Amino acid sequence: MARYGMALDYKNCINCKACEVACKEENGILMGADKHRIWVGTGEIEGEYPLLSIASNTFYPSQCQHCDDAPCQEVCPTNATYYDENSIVRVDPEKCILCSYCMNACPYDARYVDDRTVTVDKCNFCTDTRLDRGEVTTACQATCPTKVRIFGDLDDPESEISQVLRERESKTLKAHLGTNPKLFYLL
Amino acid sequence: MNIKDIKEFVATIPYNKVSIKDLLAFEKTPRNMLLAVLIVAFLAMFVIGVAIYLKHGHHAYGVTREHPWGLLIAVYIFFVVSSTGLCIVGSLGDVFGFKDYMMISKRAIFGSIVTILAGFAVIAFEIGHPVTMLIYNVLTPGFTSAIWWMGTLYGMYLTFMIIEFVFLLKNDMKMAKYFGLTGLLVGLSAHSNLGSVFGFLNARPISNGVYYPTYFILTAFITGIYLAFIMYGFRYKLKFPENATKMLVNLGKIQGLLLSILIFFVTWKMLTDVYGGMPNRAEVGVHIFESWTFWAEVILAIFIPLFIILKDMGRNVLGMFWASMSGMVGIMFMRYNLVHDTQLKPLQMLKKTEYQLTPEWVHYLPSSTEVMISLGGLGLCLAMYYVGTKVFNLDADEHH
Repeated sequence: MARYGMALDYKNCINCKACEVACKEENGILMGADKHRIWVGTGEIEGEYPLLSIASNTFYPSQCQHCDDAPCQEVCPTNATYYDENSIVRVDPEKCILCSYCMNACPYDARYVDDRTVTVDKCNFCTDTRLDRGEVTTACQATCPTKVRIFGDLDDPESEISQVLRERESKTLKAHLGTNPKLFYLL
Repeated sequence: MNIKDIKEFVATIPYNKVSIKDLLAFEKTPRNMLLAVLIVAFLAMFVIGVAIYLKHGHHAYGVTREHPWGLLIAVYIFFVVSSTGLCIVGSLGDVFGFKDYMMISKRAIFGSIVTILAGFAVIAFEIGHPVTMLIYNVLTPGFTSAIWWMGTLYGMYLTFMIIEFVFLLKNDMKMAKYFGLTGLLVGLSAHSNLGSVFGFLNARPISNGVYYPTYFILTAFITGIYLAFIMYGFRYKLKFPENATKMLVNLGKIQGLLLSILIFFVTWKMLTDVYGGMPNRAEVGVHIFESWTFWAEVILAIFIPLFIILKDMGRNVLGMFWASMSGMVGIMFMRYNLVHDTQLKPLQMLKKTEYQLTPEWVHYLPSSTEVMISLGGLGLCLAMYYVGTKVFNLDADEHH
């Protein structure tokens, strides 16, 4: 049993969106702007030419935060959203009734409706695909040319993610909501 | 009690045998004809709307990833609020023993049954998998979910309301009181839980907190009184007999108090939202304050009825009938606003220019399919009520 999480060295992101493509390809995500498990957020560059703020030119890769205290899990009326044995927040399409409460309750906009199963879908750290095949990386991590993502077991002190979180400062998103995300943005 | 007793109990429920011919044998006045045409049109819309939904699923609705709850959720809330409100009004007589209100118990409790059935009919086409819901609500219940509690309690509530109604028909006031009290308590719990569906959302600061679970009970009572005026207006064709007038004047006075309390609720909600300065809440509060639907809610559901009540100290029963019509339209805006305002603020998640510019506010416009199913729900409610007036004697029995 592991406790999987991900650290993002987000300042290295070059917005190539290879992670988005890899995620769709690996996990068979449908095409369409609304159908995405992960995304890269980009900000407008601040300032006026020639006084442009280079510091503002940062990209923010993001996805489900796999919270330890996930609001989406708490609000699910049929326990379709659950923590698996590796602490990954997942959806059981058999039990999902598509009440969309989880979509409303997730503070991270990480959920969408899969038109094939007509149930809610989200990132599951490639559990059904790569992890099931015995691989130890996610598709978005493996494809990233600038090595933004570090995926691994937070409970294993020797894992790369544990080491990097010991050595570098990090932040989590909307920490004030008490959701305890397992996605860490390296500063 | 064995099966024979149960069979006998059911067989002795008083009702009138009515044929289709009886149902069509209403007085052919312009008002009645208009109502009949509207009900048939609404029912036709329901069938068409459901057919479109079954073919296209949620794509037939205006809902999106950012705005997953739409008009049908608002209409469901509208109906279940109406049901809870009628249950409260109906309980005044047969549960709490206020004699002046005994005459409305049967009609109000029947109203509470048809309104919640209409609500269930609408929500069945908003929930993606209603049958799965019935199965897994039982097999793997989510006890931390307000939706689970709300749905389960409303299911129990409907059962108690039906049993109470049967005892009212049989004139067994003692049993009606027991089941009425249980149904009322379960109904209030269910309704409060419906408010907590929004109150528990920590992702949505505009809704989070104790406000909605309590406000829902208050607005339910207000809705129940509006519906009492409307039902009695139709029952007596606006020529109210003395005992009905006495009861409605009293209800009007209670309504004046409730609306005044509601003004405090809404005023302080808006003031704390706007001036409390909480990020993601203050700006949403300002946006709500500037929206016309908020003012439609305030003027139609609060100001107009309160003005009519205060003008004659609640004695203008005819005026209150029309003010109740205005009130119910306002209550519909109230439910729509609740659902829409909760989702106004984009969750952002740094998606500033991801695929498309994130809107400052999330937009939503109900689709024609949603409108048809919503009006269909109203048609179902009116049709069931009309049939009920023919099948059952909804007036108080003689000895009352």
